[in-house]
This record gives sequence, structure tokens and C-alpha cells, in this order.
Amino acid sequence: MHIFRDLGTLYFAVGMPLIMLVLFGYAVSFDVDRIPVVVVDEDATEESREVVARFLSGVSFTGVGTLERAEDIEPLFRKREASVGLVVPRGFSRSLARGEPATIQVLVDAADNATTTTVLSSASRFTVVVNRGLARDALGATPEAVEARVRALYNPASKSALFLVPGLVAVIQTMMSVLLTALTVAREWERGNMEQLFATPVRRIEIVLGKLLPYFGVAMIQMMLVLAAGTWLFGVPIRGSILLLFALSSLFLVAGLGQGLLISVVTKNQMVATQIAAVSSMLPAVFLSGFIMPIENMPLPLRILSNALPVRHFMHAVRGIMLRDVAPIDLAGDALALILFSIVVLAISTARFQRKIA
Amino acid sequence: MSDEMVLSARGLVKRFGTFTAVRGVSFGVARGEIFGYLGANGAGKSTTIRILCGLLAPTEGQALVAGHDVARDPEGVRLSVGYMSQKFSLYPDLTAAENLDFFGGAYGLPRALRRERGRSLLRDVGLEEGDPRPAGALPGGMRQRLALATALIHAPPIVFLDEPTAGVDPEARRNFWRIIRNLAGSGTTVFVTTHYMDEAEYCARVGLMVDGELVALDSPSGLKRTFVPGRTFALRGRRLPIEALQAVPWVRAVEPFGAGLHVRCQEEMPGAEAIVAIASGAGAVEPRAEEIAPTLEDVFLAVAGRKAAA
Repeated sequence: MHIFRDLGTLYFAVGMPLIMLVLFGYAVSFDVDRIPVVVVDEDATEESREVVARFLSGVSFTGVGTLERAEDIEPLFRKREASVGLVVPRGFSRSLARGEPATIQVLVDAADNATTTTVLSSASRFTVVVNRGLARDALGATPEAVEARVRALYNPASKSALFLVPGLVAVIQTMMSVLLTALTVAREWERGNMEQLFATPVRRIEIVLGKLLPYFGVAMIQMMLVLAAGTWLFGVPIRGSILLLFALSSLFLVAGLGQGLLISVVTKNQMVATQIAAVSSMLPAVFLSGFIMPIENMPLPLRILSNALPVRHFMHAVRGIMLRDVAPIDLAGDALALILFSIVVLAISTARFQRKIA
Repeated sequence: MSDEMVLSARGLVKRFGTFTAVRGVSFGVARGEIFGYLGANGAGKSTTIRILCGLLAPTEGQALVAGHDVARDPEGVRLSVGYMSQKFSLYPDLTAAENLDFFGGAYGLPRALRRERGRSLLRDVGLEEGDPRPAGALPGGMRQRLALATALIHAPPIVFLDEPTAGVDPEARRNFWRIIRNLAGSGTTVFVTTHYMDEAEYCARVGLMVDGELVALDSPSGLKRTFVPGRTFALRGRRLPIEALQAVPWVRAVEPFGAGLHVRCQEEMPGAEAIVAIASGAGAVEPRAEEIAPTLEDVFLAVAGRKAAA
């Protein structure tokens, strides 16, 4: 009987497995499909068009556009508009006709996701298929006529540390900001510290800032530790501006602290606060942020959810800054999302704060 | 209300949604008075205190605390009252001295002043300044005295104590009340809620709260005269016949009290022997009756009974 009275626990008993199921079932997918591909067809012959069409017909890839010059691919990677660039060099059909090995180039953005491995294997599978097809079409080609050269940009050795460490920065920041704030502020409610503080002339905003600033500081120090360890131990580069990195993580921390505060104000209970914080921040940080699982593969509802979460934007920004040296303007969208989220949670929690007292 | 009143409430009402916690409470408290607020759990004691501390806005009515209107100037109220809440609301990982220093800072006291006040308060409540233990590790009695010291750090003219002695052993409770009496003696007004009736006897005046209403307000002896008139006897023994005693014309009420009964009688009645005789006649084993002075608990039971009958 007691469990029915304790609705909070019941929600968790029922809700947790459901959330986990949805996350693991839909989001946790290592199969990569719908990878956005941008095509540069320098050869512009029947054969090159044929190769491009075959490349794009595979389940893993979706064509998102064509470009004139191969140099224009990288900016698209930075804007996250494409993850793969397919370049068919000039002279491709001529080489093919002469029976010389014809090369196509596959550029992969290896900084952002786990697609690199999929691209590598798809590319080699693709060459086999294409070669077989070409041989059958009696173009006079030898079985190894077409060769795909894959170049992983930003992370040429495909070292997992390179995209895990920047991601970890985001995960750790999430844990620190949301979980710890929710927990400790809820504890103060539980113990009556809050009420005692309210009995003093200290203003609400001072109490809130007093609670949040120390965590902000600690989280910043943590970030520096992770970055330092990442650089020295794993050789993770910081290619972009450190200043920009700090600016973005400040925004992210404000969002996270706000979220933690909101949770604590609403629950006022350590147990419940911890659970809600874990579900609303830790799980998404690991599963929905693109930390391990590529977002592109998630079903639409989860992709929308992912976009509403600050951690996804921060994850993208951190990787962008550290590995790709993106321009600040490319991060404007992420920054805007973080600011928006912060304003919303802080507004709600401040409103709740006032109401609890009056 | 006279000029001597440092605290006055008129028609205070507090509603939470459809639930009315406080229904039109009015009273005044004089400077240096120990004002007791008595009532069962949920009778509206804490809600009243929280309104008077500027923590809750009253739904209706008005209250002036040390010259500040609680609804219009809660900041002014907070500066002039000390509040010790029901829960132990200090920081358990800070030491006694650090807690005092922190709350002194919260009231905006300059560092030197809060040092000095902290030191003298710790002495007043009998705590060691250099005690390295965090507050959470102190025994209950010390913690509660520390909480009191914290509520007094800004030298407020009024201090509100919400069930300060709940869960503290009798020795520590006596100790605590000694401190409270000293405090009142030096001019601080003490507003204290309790459900220990013996503690209420220490108060100059006691307000009795039942279901959000202030049903009685007087000195402890005045309350007893009003609500427990006549003579009261404690009757002990086994198989005590409640109905038989209730049937006697000069018996006003019979209430279970501890292991025995309290028999409240009219002024004109034969005496203790008569009660014993009636009890034996109705089958009681070894009844013994003794006239007692009524306690506030008798008052409380009489008032609660009257309220229930109404």
C-alpha cells in the first residue's frame, strides 16, 4: 500500500525503466545511417556520376548537396551540415578507361561522432561493389579499378580519446552543475537551512547566487583538470580558442545550475532531487548528446528532445572548438540555445522560489 | 494595545488553498514577556510564528512586530526578530563558532561585532568557543542552545522559538528554560511554542491554539481558574469505574491521566474520601484519591473537550 501513497517513488519505479528502454532502444544505436554526404564531382563524366549515384544509394548515406571545389568541404563540416565529403577527382574516367587504378576520395569528419568506423567499412564495401559492378558492365576495368581513399579529418588516427575527452568535459560539467546543485540545495531545504536563511534579511537573489557561484567555480576548475589531463595524457589538442571554450562552458554551467536549482526548488527532497537530476541530466548527457551515439540516427522525437537539451549544444561546441577550431559565428546557434534554456529554467525557479515563501 | 506591546496581531488569517491554518487570531505581547503558544500539532502554531517572522504573508489581518508591519515591511521584521525553527537548521558541517559567524554575516553584522557577540552568546548558552566539533556532531541539548544563540546573533528585541525543546532530555530542557528566563529578564521578548505543558507554566501568559483559533489567552493560573474551576483529584488504583464517577452530580468531568484518572469536581463536594468510596462501591481495586492543583494539561484537555463538544 505504501508504494501507492509514495507517488514519487512510484513514478520512478515505472518511469525509470521506460525512459531507459526508450533511450537504449532508440538512441543507443551504433548503426549509422543517414550520414550527410556532400559531393564534389570534379570529373563530371558519365562514369563519375555513376560512381556518385552508387555511393549515395547505400543505406548509410544521404546526399545533401554538391560543391565545385574540394576545399569547400571543410567549412561544411564545421557547420555540421555534412559529415562526409565524396570527391571524384578530375581524370577519374580517363584512368578508368586506361585500366589504371582510379581513385575517389572520401573525407570523414572524425571529430564529432562514431561514424568514422562505419564510413571506413562502408567505403571499402562500396569499392568492392562498385568494382564488381564495373567489371560486370564490361567497361574493361580490372577488379581493383576503383580505389577509395578515406581521409579522417581532425582525428586522422581515429583515436577515441579525441572525441571522448571533449565529450567528457560536457558530461562532467553536467554532473557537477545539475546533480550537485540539485542535491545540495535540496538538502538545505530538507534541513531547514533555507527557512533559517529566509528569516534573515538576506535577499533571495543573494541566496541563489551564494549557492550557485561556488559550484560554478568548482565546475570550472574541473573542466581545466579534464582539459589538462586530456592534453597531457591523451594528446587531445585544443585547436580553437580557449577563451571561447570558457565562454561557452560558462553559458552551459549557468544553464545546468539553473536546472539543478529548479529541481531542488520543486522537489525539496534530496532523494527525489537526485533521481530527477540523474534522469534529466546524466542520462541525456551520455545518451542523447552525441557523446557516444550519433544524434543523426535517433528517431525524430529523440532528435527534437536532444536539441532542447543544453548538453547537446555544449557537446557540439566543445568538440568544435577543441578539434575543428570553429569560428565563433558557427557556435552562435549553440550559444543561443544555451542562453534560451538558462533564461527559461532560471525564470521558472525564481518564480517558484518566491511562491514558496509568500 | 498599549505602548508596551512590542508585538500585536489583529485578525490574522492564513489560508493555504482551501485549508485555513489560522482563523482570525488576535493578541498582544509586552516587552520582556515570555509568551507561550500552546496547541496540538497542526493547530496553527508554526504558521502563526512564520507570519510573525515575515516568512509568510498573512491572507487577512495585520500584525505589527517591533513596529514593522509583517505584510508591508517583512525586511524590517526580519532584522528585528530572531527565529529558531522547529528543525535543527544550522549547518551541521560548520562548528558552533562558524555557524554564529555565518548567520551574523547574513544579518549584515560587521566582522568584529559578530566575533564579539558570538563569543558572549556562546558563553551565555554555555558552549565552548573553541569546540572543534561540527554542529552536527554536538549532542541535542548543545545543538539546541547553539540554535538559540544563532537566533540571537543580531540582538533582536523579539525572539521566536518554535518548539525549541522537542526531542531534548529533561535536564537539557531545564537548562534551556533557565537561559530563556535570563533572556526575558534582560528585556528580550520571547515568543515560544511548545507542547510540553510543564514548560508552559514558565510563561507569563499562554495562548491556547485549537484548530487555527486562539481559544484562550491568560496567565497559567488564570487559565486554570477559568477552565478548571472547582477541585481536582487524582484517582489511582485498578479497574477504576469512569461511568460511575461521571454519574455523580458534583463531578464535572473524568479524564484519563497517566495510569489513573483526574476527577474534576464542583467547589462544594464531600472530599477525597467520597470519591474513594464511590470508586470502591463500583468495583475499583485499591483506589486512592488525592487533591491536586490542576495543571495546564487539565486546562488543555478541558478546552479541547469543550471544543469537541461544541
